[in-house]
Order: sequence, then structure tokens, then C-alpha cells
Amino acid sequence: MQTTSLLIRKRILTLFLLFTLGFFSLGGRIFWIQFVRGAELSEKAIQNRMRDVPVEAKRGTIYDRNGHELAISVSADSVYAIPAEIYRSGREQEIAQKLAEVLDMDEQELYERITKNSSFEWVKRQIAPEKSKKIREMDLPGIGLTEESRRYYPKGTLASHVLGISGIDNTGLEGVDYYYNELVGGTKGRIVIEHDAANRPIPEATHKYIPPVDGSHLILTIDETIQYIAERELDKVFKEREAKAACVIVMDPSTGEILALANRPTFDPNSYNDFPAENRKNFAISNSYEPGSTMKVITAAMALEENVVDKDSKFYCPGYIKVGKETIGCPNRKAHGDQTFAQIVENSCNVGFVQVGLELGLDRYYKYLGAFGFGEPTGIDLPGEAAGILVPKSRAKQIDLATMSMGQANAVTAVQLLAAVSAVANEGKLMQPYLVKQVINNEGEIIKNVEPKVVRRVISSETARELSLILEGEVINGTGKNAYIEGYRVAGKTGTAQKISPAGGYLPNEYVASFVGFAPAHDPKLACIVVVDAPQGYPYYGGWVAAPAFREIMKDALRYLEVPMYKPEESEETIEKEVIVPDVVNLPLAEAISLINSRGLKVKVSGTGNVVWQQNPQAKMKISEGSQIVIYLSPFEKGVEYGQVTVPDLQGKSLKEVAKILADLGLHLLPEGYGLAYEQSPEAGKVVTSGSSIKVKFQPVGE
Amino acid sequence: MRLELKRLKFIDKPFLLVLFFILAFGVIVLTSASYGISSDPYYYVKKQVFAVFVGFLAAGIIIKYDYILFKNYSSLLYIFSLLLLLAVLIFGREVRGTTGWIGLGSLFIQPAEFIKIILIVSFADFLSNRKGELDTLGQVLQCIIYMGIPFILIMLQPDLGTALVYIIITVVMMFMAGANPRILSIMLFLAVLFVAIALVLHFKFGVWLPLEDYQLKRLTIFLNPYEDGQGGRGLGWNTIQSLVAIGSGGLTGKGLFNGTQVQLNFLPEQHTDFIYAVIGEELGFMGAFFVIILYGIFIFRAIYISYTARELFGSLMVLGITAMWLFHIFENIGMSLGLMPITGIPLPFLSYGGSSMVTNLMAVGIILNVNIRGRKIVF
Repeated sequence: MQTTSLLIRKRILTLFLLFTLGFFSLGGRIFWIQFVRGAELSEKAIQNRMRDVPVEAKRGTIYDRNGHELAISVSADSVYAIPAEIYRSGREQEIAQKLAEVLDMDEQELYERITKNSSFEWVKRQIAPEKSKKIREMDLPGIGLTEESRRYYPKGTLASHVLGISGIDNTGLEGVDYYYNELVGGTKGRIVIEHDAANRPIPEATHKYIPPVDGSHLILTIDETIQYIAERELDKVFKEREAKAACVIVMDPSTGEILALANRPTFDPNSYNDFPAENRKNFAISNSYEPGSTMKVITAAMALEENVVDKDSKFYCPGYIKVGKETIGCPNRKAHGDQTFAQIVENSCNVGFVQVGLELGLDRYYKYLGAFGFGEPTGIDLPGEAAGILVPKSRAKQIDLATMSMGQANAVTAVQLLAAVSAVANEGKLMQPYLVKQVINNEGEIIKNVEPKVVRRVISSETARELSLILEGEVINGTGKNAYIEGYRVAGKTGTAQKISPAGGYLPNEYVASFVGFAPAHDPKLACIVVVDAPQGYPYYGGWVAAPAFREIMKDALRYLEVPMYKPEESEETIEKEVIVPDVVNLPLAEAISLINSRGLKVKVSGTGNVVWQQNPQAKMKISEGSQIVIYLSPFEKGVEYGQVTVPDLQGKSLKEVAKILADLGLHLLPEGYGLAYEQSPEAGKVVTSGSSIKVKFQPVGE
Repeated sequence: MRLELKRLKFIDKPFLLVLFFILAFGVIVLTSASYGISSDPYYYVKKQVFAVFVGFLAAGIIIKYDYILFKNYSSLLYIFSLLLLLAVLIFGREVRGTTGWIGLGSLFIQPAEFIKIILIVSFADFLSNRKGELDTLGQVLQCIIYMGIPFILIMLQPDLGTALVYIIITVVMMFMAGANPRILSIMLFLAVLFVAIALVLHFKFGVWLPLEDYQLKRLTIFLNPYEDGQGGRGLGWNTIQSLVAIGSGGLTGKGLFNGTQVQLNFLPEQHTDFIYAVIGEELGFMGAFFVIILYGIFIFRAIYISYTARELFGSLMVLGITAMWLFHIFENIGMSLGLMPITGIPLPFLSYGGSSMVTNLMAVGIILNVNIRGRKIVF
């Protein structure tokens, strides 16, 4: 009998060693792949199978200050197909044929699309409601509808430069829609679908739906009515004078709230592609121009503040003045003769202002320019604001100082000038102009409340008051006569500036006519600037072109705001008792009224509803006894009278749905918990007064 | 017969125990791997379990007769296997580019699997008859011609993977039988040189090769799976998906039926060639390493049995089978780990496949036959 020889046993040992070595290397390789490369390969495994289908969020609505809709989102259904589910149903042909009929599409093309080797296919986007209803009724397997939204501007061109535009992908491209895109745009949702290797979604596997968060709503400082008035008058002057461009801004000088802002030429944001792109230029904030005499308001403010002059200081105008080698004249070299400082403002006397400016000197002049906010953007919440262009101080000579004192040499924007003049109206405090008052999220909670912001005090209140009186005189006696409004005290200044030629120097026959002012002069409620670029015909002066527009806008706006007319016998000298404004926000209307009356104040109710949403002036402010407190009721309680409403059944609805239903009925929601509504008080069917609160308890699904 | 039953007491228990472990483990993993690929989720498991029974039956029959009797039939077996290979070439059914399948009624089997065992038996006889006579080139060449004929028939199918198994079996068995290591090394070197020259001639001058170009490409793609001209979606796909499956398994894996690579069909051939990637993904490092340890013990016991064999013929049969399994294990696991080219070599006892399972259990029968009639038995 043979046995294995020694040689063979040795070789068996060799084999054993080799195989042990081999197994160790396999083990090492497993370790390497699973632990060293584990994270990278796990990531790949996820990428392999997850596909995202984006779900667009609905953009928030943009309201004016009184809750009127200026920009809304309209939605339309889009049809999509999930080819894998269509395959599974085995009814491909039938589905294609039925869909083709409803959607008016080519059947063969549709068949190819819904049977494509893909996880998700759009069949048709943004279809008519009746078609989407039909498709919903057919209930075809693998065919679904999803809501997609698009911006719609119900007022057309109104405030188009403020609102801006939104692109096809539902993102803001200009205006506040762009500036607040992150808030208004919301957060995109998505459907994460797990796929197998053949790119088919797995029915029973991870089908995560991450819902979009709809955008927040903006409440603008814009008042639709004042905006409309401003645009109407702007249109008139723009068309009559065949101007190149024109703009108007109306602002509340005490807060910086922009009540109206308009430009010409304009465009309709619903169909902005039909207009030349330059129509979208926001002239009021992005165009730097040499303001001319309107700038003399600022020079005057400096001079009064620095006690270089008072209103009775004496000046003599021979019609021209020599500054170094240059000669500066009043229009047509007309000599104004002996004048007081108030008179040189009224006459808009260049010679007088050159003297004032030279007296101030470069240092003081530039200090105030900066303080008034020139040379830097005001920070208004709109994209594309210009900083204006100042002659660099290091290069400025006496002649520059002389010309800038009368409004040439430096370029400013309309909004800068209006803010600066408003500081005069606001007792010397420069306010930050702004457009968005409040941001309300899609559940109705206020997420941002913009308070008026004082940038800095520029001049003393005494100086401001003195200058106001001088500017009032300018409207009564001076070049601004066309801005005079019967019954109101108007302060303002005209401006007729020469335009810089692109070739250097000034254009001989092109002017910028403007007017800036505020009213009532003793208690300014509105400040307004009108700028008309290159009006045709004569006279081209600001007092003839811009002042009438200013007058019409202010007259209608003041009346609309029910600003009391000035009665001379009601002198300011009466001793007034100051009282503190009570906090009535969120109080029921009746309680608020009695509280305000108890302090000896008057009440004005704005809007409808039962609960106070906002008040003006704010709580804790000191005001004179007998002043008026305006209380605003919720902007969301549209047109609901203090009627009776029946409490709806909210069972099983989401917080969002409940909030909307109740808001539409003018009812207040007091939510508790989260998830879906399961209990409410009062119960459905009960009749309550509008404005009542409904307590709703929510609980998560599946518990 | 009573004597035979007595011998069963000496059966190698660790070997058998580990085998049962591997088989049970294999059935469990196969259940998960094949769950979603057929309308009957247990279709493949049922067939596999059936093959296990058939295999044990065959093994039982093999154990009954003293293996030394096989020597009498070795020439007959050799001729039979050559005829079978020829039949496959003529009547075979083409599956995935090779004609390895043959129909027996409603059953399709892969004769190449069975023939491996038959050839191991007859080659063991061939070598044991030439003990101590494997020193000269002429003697070595005789052996090579003996195994070369079936090798060429396999290459004509063409089934490169199986052909490689034949080479490994031949070389290991010759080495174990005491062949001159220098001549063996030179022969191996010449073979490699020949393949290299053939490849150069093929690509430079278009000389015919039994393999299509895409089959050649498939052999090298594992080195750079993303360089398949389709960013990893072409020939590199299998290697990439297998690596992703194993790599994303982590320490304990994603759990049976929960492997995303497996259940969502990213992993190809998950129940056959890539069963190891299923283990790596669903049972993690623990599962993958456990398999390696099981195989390690199993192979160690097989080598030990060959060590204690009664005489050279038995020892060589066991070593031939061990070499075959070792190659299958290295090639299959190596392929799953991106270390080896993609070939259709199944993992013994774990991959789904009736022919392979029955063949491997028949091989177990032969090993146990050698085992119970080994030197331990004292009369």
C-alpha cells in the first residue's frame, strides 16, 4: 500500500501556506472596502437610487399698506406621468388615447412620452381648470396633477417699478419681489423617489414628499390710492411735456415710509417682454442727476444750522457773481437787488446761494452733504439703488463749492433728495426710506415688522422749523407758486437743472425740471418729489412743469388721508397737554375705542374687523391731547362686516387650511398642538360674530 | 457493507459541520438575494434545496464504494468526458455568449461542471500511475496533453473561466504529484508568454482568437471600471455595483432583504455570480468575514484529509478538488471585491446553480470517501 511521500507532504504544506496567505489578503480587501471606502461607497449607493422631483412653492402675495393685493400667485395644474405605474396598469394605449383627447395632443407623441424609460415625465404644464377637472375625474393610473404657480399683477402697470417682475421659473427678478425673494419665494419642496436599476420608482419603498413652504406675504408701505394718484399725475406731465423720463416719490417724512413711487416710461409686469427693457429702469432710485435749485434747500439748511445766516440776513444780487475767474449768474443775468435770506430762497437766487456756500466753506459743506445722506445709497429696500456722484472733496475748488451750493456739480438720486428734504420736514431727523412694512408668513404670523428708523439727526428742530417757514414762503411768494394748495400749508422748492452732456459741459436745451416739498408745513404728513427729465416746450422750469404735478398729487393725497385743512385761527400757541398713547393692538375694537377716548384722544378706525391690528402713533408716544389715533383692523378680514358667521367644520384639516378658512370668515384661530384638526370650540354649526376666536386642537396623523 | 458503516465513524466531523454551516448560510442568503427577481419569491431557493438533496444522494452513492475502484474506470471516464464536451459544442444552448448548457428533458445542465470532477479523478489516476516519473520534459508534456484536450474543447465554447479552472487543477495536481518544479515553472512562463504574444498579434495584426473583443475587454475592465466608455454604465457596471454594495454594508450590513443594491437590482446576477456582494451588503463585514473563515476551515480540513490519505491517488483527487474550490473562491470573491476580472465562476455551495451544487457535493463525497478510508482506520 502506497502512502503519501515526504515530498508530497511538503508540497501540501506549501499549498496550505499559499491558501492562508490568499485568504488573509481577501480579508484585508474586505476591510479596506467596507471601512476605509465605506462612506464614499455608501454615498454612491444612495445616489444610485434616489431621484428628486422638485415641487415649486407658491410666492407670497404683495399687499399695499391697507391689504389690497398688488401681486398675487395664480396657480394652474400641470399633468405628469409616472411611466412605471402606467406599465404596471397595462393600459398604456388607453391612457394615451384618453389624455390626448382631453389635452388636445398628438396621441402617438403622448404615448411615447408616458412610456418613456424614466421615473417622471411632464405631460403638459399649466392647463386650464376644466381640463384638470376632467383628468382628475378619469383617475388614470400613473397620471397625476400637481399645482404650479405663476405671478400675476392684478393692477397691471400700477407700482410696477416697486413690485418688479418674476421670471418663468417663479423667482423674483426685479423690485421687492427680487429684494425679498428669499422670503417671498418660500422653500421649494421635493418628492424623493427611490428607483431601481431600471430607473423605475419603487412603489412600496421610500416615497418621501417634502412639501414646499409657500412664500411669505409682504405688506408694503405703498398706499394703493396715493400710488394711483401719483401715477395719474405723472402720466399727465410725462405725456403733455413729452419728457424723456419722469418720476415721483411720496413719503411719510416722519417715518420714511414710501407711500408711492412711480416712474415713466413704465411697463406691465404681467407681460414685461412686450416693453423695452429700459422701461424697467427705476429712474427714482437708480438715476443720478444734477438736482439744480431743489438742492438749495440743503444749502439753506446748512447755513441756518451753522448760523451763517438767518432768515433776515441781507444779500445783494447784481445778477452775477465772480468766483475766481468764473462768473456765475442768475437766469438771464437778472439782478434781484436787495434781498433777505428768505427772499433769495423764494427767488431761487443763484448769486445769493453762491455767497452762502462760499461762506460755509468746503469742510462744512461736505460734512452736511454726508450727514444728509448724499454720496451713498439711502438703503431703500429695492435693488439697483445708485449712490449719486459727488465731486471728490480732495479735488473740489471754490468754483465747485459755488456751483454745488446752487445744485449743480453734484449728482443725486430723487430718493436721496426726498429723504434729505424730509429731514427738514421731520424736525431735522433723517429717516431711512423703506417699502416693506411687514412680512407675514403663510400661516398668518408676523415674521418681520419694520419700524421707522432714524438714520441721524442732521439739523436742529429749530433750524428745521425756520427753514420750513422759509420754504412755505417760497410756495406762497416765490418760484413755487404753482405748488400752492388752497387750505394747506405747503413748503417746497423748485428746481430747473442743466443736464450734463455726454461730451462734457452742459446741454444747451435740455433741463431737469423738479419740485420737492412737503405739507402741511406746520405738521408734515407727506413729502413728495417730482422729477421730469427733459420736458419739451416752454416754460421748462420746475415751477411750471413739476410744481403743478406736485400740487395735484399732494392735494388729492392729503384729502384722501383726511388731513385737516389749515385754519389760521387755530393757532399753535394754545397750550397743549401731552398724553401718552395707550397700547391697543390686539384689543377688541370697542375696548380700544373706549381706552383711547378715556385718555382724551380721538379715534379713527381704518379697515373693517373686530380686533385692532395696528395703531398709529405707536403706544407709549407722547402726543397732544385731542390728537387722533388711527387704528387699523386686520388686513386679512376682507369685506367682512360685523356680521354673524357660522363656524365651519375643521375636522381633519391642516393648520394651514384651517387658518385660511377662518381668515376668510374673519375668525381668529387659536391653535393648539400640531398635525390635523380634531377638536374645535365652538363646535361647527354654531353662529358667532365675525372676529370671534375659534380654539382648534391639532394632533399628528396616525396616532 | 457493515464494514463501510463502521468507517463512517471516522468521518471528518469539522469538515462536515462547516459544510452544513455554509449550506445553511447559503440558503438563507439566497432567499434574500432571489426574493425579488421571480414571481415566486422562493423559486430559486426551492430549486437550490432540491439540488442539495440530489447532491447528497450522489455523494452517498460515491462514499459507498472504495475510491480505489475509480481507478478501473478512469480511462472510460476520460473518454466519456471528452465526448460530453464535444456534444455540448454541437448541441449546446448558448447562454451569455457561451454554449455551456445542454438539455436533458426539461432540465438544463452544465456538463463542464461535472466534467471537472471526472477529469480530476482520471487525472489523479494518470498522475499516480506516473509517480516519480514527472521529472523530464517529455513526461510533463504527456500530462499537459492529457489535460490540454479537454481544455481546448472548453476554450471552444468559449468558457474562459472554466478553462482557467482546468489550468489551475492541472498545475496544482502535477505539483502535488511531484512534478519537476523547474519544468512546471518554465511551462507556466511559456503559457503566459504565448497568451501575451497571441494578444499582441490579435490587436496589431488581427489574428483570430477564440474570444470576442468585448470578452477581452471584460477581463481587464475591473482595473478601471469607470473607463468603460460609458462612465461606469457599460462593462464596468458589475464591478462598480458590487463594490458599492459591499462598501455600503459597513460592519453589520443593511440586513437581509434590505440591501438597496440587491433588492433594487443594481447588483447584477445577485443570486449567482455576485452572491458574495449580497452577503457584503446585507450582512456587512461580519457576514463577509464569516464566510471567509468558514471557507478557511473547510479548505484546511480538505487539505488535512489529503495529508492523511491512504495513498497518492486519493490524496491527489482531494488536492485537485481543493485546488478547484480555492480557485472558485478566490476568483469569485476577488471579482466581487474588484480584485479579479468578471467571469462566470460561481461561489461553491453559496451561488445559486444546480449543476454546480450537485458537482460540489459529489466532490465532497469523493473527499469523504478518501477521508474514511484514510490512515486513521486501524483494522
